[in-house]
Amino acid sequence: MSLSWWVWLVGGVLLFVAGVGSVLVPRRRAATLERRVAWSAARAAVDRATVSRDAVSARVPEADRLLAEAELVVAGGGGAGAARTAAEYARQADSMWRAAAR
Amino acid sequence: MRGWLRWIALGAAAVVFVVFLVAQRQSVTVSYGQSPSSGNTVTEGSAGELGTATVPSTAEMTALVSAQPVVRLPGAVAHWDEQRVRAAIGNAPDIRIIVAPPGLDEAERTRVREVKAATVRVIGTQVTGGLYQSTADQLGEWRAQFATGDVTAALVALISAIRKVDAPAAPPVDPGWREPTAAELAPVLADLRKSGPYTGPGAVSAFPGRSPLVVTLARQPYGKPLPHYGRALEKVFPDTPILVMYGDWIEYTGPQAADFAELVAVTFYAQSGDRISRYAYPQRNILNAYLNRVTDVRYAGLFDRPLPYVPFDPLRVGLPALPWLFAVCVLVFLLLSVRPAARPTSRRRPTAAPARLAALAALAVEQSALTGRATDPALTRGITQLTAARSAIEEKLPDRHVQSLLNAAEAELDEVGRGLPYPGYRPGEYLRGGPS
Repeated sequence: MSLSWWVWLVGGVLLFVAGVGSVLVPRRRAATLERRVAWSAARAAVDRATVSRDAVSARVPEADRLLAEAELVVAGGGGAGAARTAAEYARQADSMWRAAAR
Repeated sequence: MRGWLRWIALGAAAVVFVVFLVAQRQSVTVSYGQSPSSGNTVTEGSAGELGTATVPSTAEMTALVSAQPVVRLPGAVAHWDEQRVRAAIGNAPDIRIIVAPPGLDEAERTRVREVKAATVRVIGTQVTGGLYQSTADQLGEWRAQFATGDVTAALVALISAIRKVDAPAAPPVDPGWREPTAAELAPVLADLRKSGPYTGPGAVSAFPGRSPLVVTLARQPYGKPLPHYGRALEKVFPDTPILVMYGDWIEYTGPQAADFAELVAVTFYAQSGDRISRYAYPQRNILNAYLNRVTDVRYAGLFDRPLPYVPFDPLRVGLPALPWLFAVCVLVFLLLSVRPAARPTSRRRPTAAPARLAALAALAVEQSALTGRATDPALTRGITQLTAARSAIEEKLPDRHVQSLLNAAEAELDEVGRGLPYPGYRPGEYLRGGPS
């Protein structure tokens, strides 16, 4: 008994680490994936808005402002929340330019 | 299956841990000091050790001792080898011996002690004199003393000590053994068959499972070999503990005699011999004390066999294995936990996304040759979406995201196809035919 007491200690610590790891690792992996997806969507939205802007001869100042803001956020980087904000700005700008194009 | 195994391992580890913690309430100390014998072997006064014999007054005894060198008071039981004692006395003139009966109370013993004329006092078989008390220290001497009242060895040693000379060399005192005659054995056998084994106090714990046979004989005549009833009875009652009492001496014959008989006799008579020699205990009390000593020795584990009083306890046996069981459970849980965490995308299924991207890209290429000013922006937007989808596939982003990008591209290309003057360039129609 006296010789094997460390088995309980090491086993307990390992179980604790395993529990923390099994919670944290998938969570961090999911957060990373979500951030990458959000940035991918944001970049796609900005590109689309840029194409729409170039296709319209008239100027839409509000859309310009929104797209500039979106590009600013994209340039600044950040987490998934920032990416979603940029995507939303770009989407609004895109729909403004499309409305102006008709 | 693997997930279940993982959680089963964790549960087993928890159960093992709880069992381990609960088991800690058990005492791990094993003591040999909890023998169930009934404690103090010989108790003063209450054990019937005071006999009916008495002694005269001190003055009368002094007169007797002055008259002759050896005085035997009525009821005296001690005997000795006259020749050897006389040799020990030698030419010392004033060695006078008074022999009193056993079982005297304190006042009577004081009266005997106050006979200053007596150099040596023998009370029962206890030998004292001057500042000394002489006791036997060998098994044969004890047997002689308690079975036949032979105090030769003690007397010679005491007288030599009083005279301040070395005791003369002599063969060890031992009454010796002889086979009992058929006439002696017959009544003993008849009695044993009638009374059966002894079941008095102490017999069960001393000899668990086998009640001993007890033969009680009076003090044997001095100077004759003792009849060894044990050996004779062993042939009639094999594998049975047999106790034969010769006066105050108990001789054991039976199973495991070599293991403990001498040990018990030596420890019992070394500790209690002084009281037994001085008093007149009933034989039943001496037997009881002896059985308790047997129990003590058995309990102490001196026999070559398992302790009779420790019941089998599976927890005590399994406790040392628990830590390793726990360790195995932890390892299984860890191994099964690490694999999915280390390779989360190992089961990435092949999807239709690359094929769909290729078909839409082919459509976009065909459309680009036909578009005009009105549909160019939609085509460009569609191509940017296709580019985004391709990089998403390369970055191994989830299929859902790739499909949403492809949906957006398809919507743009659909807008282009609707604006074209030629049929068959909308994605729905084009993809149905497959990329040409």
